[in-house]
Amino acid sequence: MARLEFHGVTVQYPVYDVRAKSLRSRLVSISTGGRIEREASGVQIVTALRDVSFTLLDGDTVGLVGHNGAGKSTLLRTMAGVYQPAWGEVLREGRIATVFELGAGMDSELSGYENIQRMGLLLGLRQDEIRTRMDDIEAFTQLGPFLGLPVRTYSAGMATRLMFAVATSTRPDILLVDEVFGAGDAEFQEKAAQRMHDLISSVSIFVFASHDIAAMKRYCRRFLRLEHGQVTEIGADEL
Amino acid sequence: MTVSAHDIATPAPVPSALPPALADLGRAMRLLHVIAFMAAGDLRARYRRSVLGPFWMTLGTAAGSLGLGLVWSELLHMDRAAFVPSLTCGLVMWYLLSGCITEATSTYWRQSAILRNLSVPLSMPPIQMLLKHLINFLHNVPVLVAVILIFHLPLGAATLLVIPCLALVAVNLLWITLLLSMLGARFRDLEYVIGAAMPLLMFLSPVFYRPSYLPFNEQFVWFNPLSHLIEIVRYPLLGSPPPGFVVLTTGLLAVGGWLLTLWLFNAKRNRIAYWL
Repeated sequence: MARLEFHGVTVQYPVYDVRAKSLRSRLVSISTGGRIEREASGVQIVTALRDVSFTLLDGDTVGLVGHNGAGKSTLLRTMAGVYQPAWGEVLREGRIATVFELGAGMDSELSGYENIQRMGLLLGLRQDEIRTRMDDIEAFTQLGPFLGLPVRTYSAGMATRLMFAVATSTRPDILLVDEVFGAGDAEFQEKAAQRMHDLISSVSIFVFASHDIAAMKRYCRRFLRLEHGQVTEIGADEL
Repeated sequence: MTVSAHDIATPAPVPSALPPALADLGRAMRLLHVIAFMAAGDLRARYRRSVLGPFWMTLGTAAGSLGLGLVWSELLHMDRAAFVPSLTCGLVMWYLLSGCITEATSTYWRQSAILRNLSVPLSMPPIQMLLKHLINFLHNVPVLVAVILIFHLPLGAATLLVIPCLALVAVNLLWITLLLSMLGARFRDLEYVIGAAMPLLMFLSPVFYRPSYLPFNEQFVWFNPLSHLIEIVRYPLLGSPPPGFVVLTTGLLAVGGWLLTLWLFNAKRNRIAYWL
């Protein structure tokens, strides 16, 4: 039973310029009574999500649409628990997996096998789960003996295969994807799409942010449009 | 829903009684096996292309204490049998302290790919870094053993105190690294401030000397908290229990430091992901 609920969620984050990131200018501003601070504090508060509420239940496949900077990635990260809301509440039930920027935790000096373990552990897999999935990952990457070599010797495409294979080897209840299709050669793309499809059909809740309307229509039933940090549910014909 | 092993992917509903900072630390503790694996991997990666691997550190420490010990004991007209062991202990402890403190300020930046994409406990990167430096420390143990054997240092019950004393130092180092990681994530130039301050701190800390060697009042050295963290391990290594006030200060430092760090971590932990 998976469930993902947002109740009046507002996400704000500070954006600092170089001045505000400096301890020195911070100290100067304290010692001058904060007058310089006010003129050039360099901190801006961005409200990325404003009072967002929705409920996703078992079987929901959701596409997120919106312009660049509309808050799609922020919404996904808030769903995943990377960003905490300033106000409101996020309820999560079920195991969450994210496919955002690939390769978190990869170390290019370590071998392919060691990196599979590292990334797998970070994604929440247990050692024995990683072992049982190793054959599947090996087969999908088709890297063969290269998996014993340091990842720095890989081409960009080979590294992508590895990262994609690990990221999609979890079996979550809730899957959050920030457009990752479209890496590697044509053959790999086809295999990746197939693997993604298998993964999507195995999860209870799927959320997908993309500009690729065709892919979205293929995988998703519900659609959320993000505009100025606010979410409205729209029909498939409004895309 | 599964909890224990899947905690990384599933931010478990926070046990309501715990403040978020403690809940975060609790989550990190349950993931200790993952953190240890990552820390060991960091070390393997670093020494992958070298012949001796991490034992380069052992060799470096051995060469440092041998060279400095021989030269400085002559320069300072000190008894070699007293100076070299004291110097070796000081150097080994200094590597541990300065390694953690210097690296802490950039911990969150270096792990930013993980922190921006996965919901991991925010106390995880500092713990991972501390573990890495503790493993480094273990690689210097052979040098300490060799020095103890060569200079016939007294071994006894007091020597065993090294373990609890080192644990107390580690407890202190954990809040120091967590605090500096947070501050370093917010203020990018802290890394350079610390980098510039460390060589100065090295001479203000009893690394090359003991506080009692000083020609002036030794109180000045004891104002430096790092002095306590070094001496509390050095005393048992040289065969005598540490003086009570050193243990007391180290303990109070741990309590005070943790209270400050937990308060700040509680207040600001949600912002760390945005700072990166």
